[in-house]
Amino acid sequence: MAGKLDIRRWSGVLDVGQSLSGVVLALFLWTHLLLVSSILLGPEAMSWVARNMELAFLSDDGHGYPWVVSLIAIGVGLLAAFHVLVALHKLPLSLRQQKALKSQMQVINHSDTRLWSWQAGTGIVILLLLPVHLWLVGSAPETIGPVGSAQRIWGEYGYLIYLPLLLTVELHAAIGLYRVALKWGAARDLNTRARLRTIKTVLSVLFVGIGLAALLAFLPHTPA
Amino acid sequence: MSGRILTFNIFRYDPQEPGDKPKMVQYQLAETSGMTVFIALNRLRQEQDPSLQFDFVCRAGICGSCAMVINGFPTLACRTLTAKYPKGEITLMPLPGFELIGDLSVNTGKFMRELAERLQLWLHPKGGDMDIHRLEDPMAPEEAAKLYELERCVECGVCVSACATKQMRDTFVGAVGMMKIARFELDSRDGRSADDFYHVIGNQDGVFGCMTLLGCQDNCPKDLPHMQQIAYLRRKMASTLL
Repeated sequence: MAGKLDIRRWSGVLDVGQSLSGVVLALFLWTHLLLVSSILLGPEAMSWVARNMELAFLSDDGHGYPWVVSLIAIGVGLLAAFHVLVALHKLPLSLRQQKALKSQMQVINHSDTRLWSWQAGTGIVILLLLPVHLWLVGSAPETIGPVGSAQRIWGEYGYLIYLPLLLTVELHAAIGLYRVALKWGAARDLNTRARLRTIKTVLSVLFVGIGLAALLAFLPHTPA
Repeated sequence: MSGRILTFNIFRYDPQEPGDKPKMVQYQLAETSGMTVFIALNRLRQEQDPSLQFDFVCRAGICGSCAMVINGFPTLACRTLTAKYPKGEITLMPLPGFELIGDLSVNTGKFMRELAERLQLWLHPKGGDMDIHRLEDPMAPEEAAKLYELERCVECGVCVSACATKQMRDTFVGAVGMMKIARFELDSRDGRSADDFYHVIGNQDGVFGCMTLLGCQDNCPKDLPHMQQIAYLRRKMASTLL
């Protein structure tokens, strides 16, 4: 019944959509990070990954189709845009709301609320940095590889984007998945919740560690 | 831990008094064994400052009147032992998000009444049966036990104060609203359909506005299962989308 998509249904669709798009983005993020960190296994490993992401195995000349990477970047950008638009409904946008939140957080000591304020803050930073990252790789997909990426990260000062993006996105994604799990009832009791919270922290630390190591591993490949 | 001197920092402000400004006032009191914050407040009012305002009725965690923020955690003063604080320093603030009557006293009653009227939080008998002489249908003990679990809410207002979402959005029903809706939805005597209930909380003022910050779950002095209950309502509501 298309005519029945009223406010009630929309708010449900949007809430489910926020959770789903968040989960998909987080899974993409971690897959992406693991693929990029193939540089830790050496330049050949990373070249192999980059070639296969461009579907080189489908092309006759073995060069693949770099525009596939651009397509992925556009897809991620659209999904992130949807995620932002829905999440914006929940952020304190007016001065009155910001004041209420601030005074409540000053009086009441609650760690999950602080966790959410980190998630909201990192979300805004990601909103600013992600488009730059997507443009950098999406507009020059053929340069992805040990040397091209090293040039982008270290030669052209990309690390000024990548370092803060790595830190914020790994916090945001892990906290977000923790909250999605609780939101839909994955934790039947408080012990499970405590365990999920620990897993969340481990995931953040682990992926920030891998990410930093990968960024550093590009350094020696930077063209002089 | 009797014998030590406790230091209380108490929020003082009387909106009725012209020119009065919010301030923190310090009091000291000798701790006695088994002392609760509620007992300490009564002693302070009796012995040191008769103008100190705070609410209480039952002094046993049943009426929900003495909720306040104790060292950063909203809870019931009558169920908080002063021995819990090794440093002997206790800061008391009124619950945020409610109309302040004075000092530690807030008007939770007005809020709860408005919520009840808005969400119609009373039994709507099946078929509009208003004959009070007719015997009610018997209820299975299991169902009664389930209802009782949710009925334990004492309307203290802690979940409302502890919820940043509620503080940011006035129209959000909060954990107490969802808990009560769940209670009437379970009640076999209530004539409202699932759709009627969902109409009230299946939007951004209800489950779909909840950000799962879980201040309600972590502070509820009656340990009500807010986390599970709200997740259940959300899943149920989301399943009606299909």
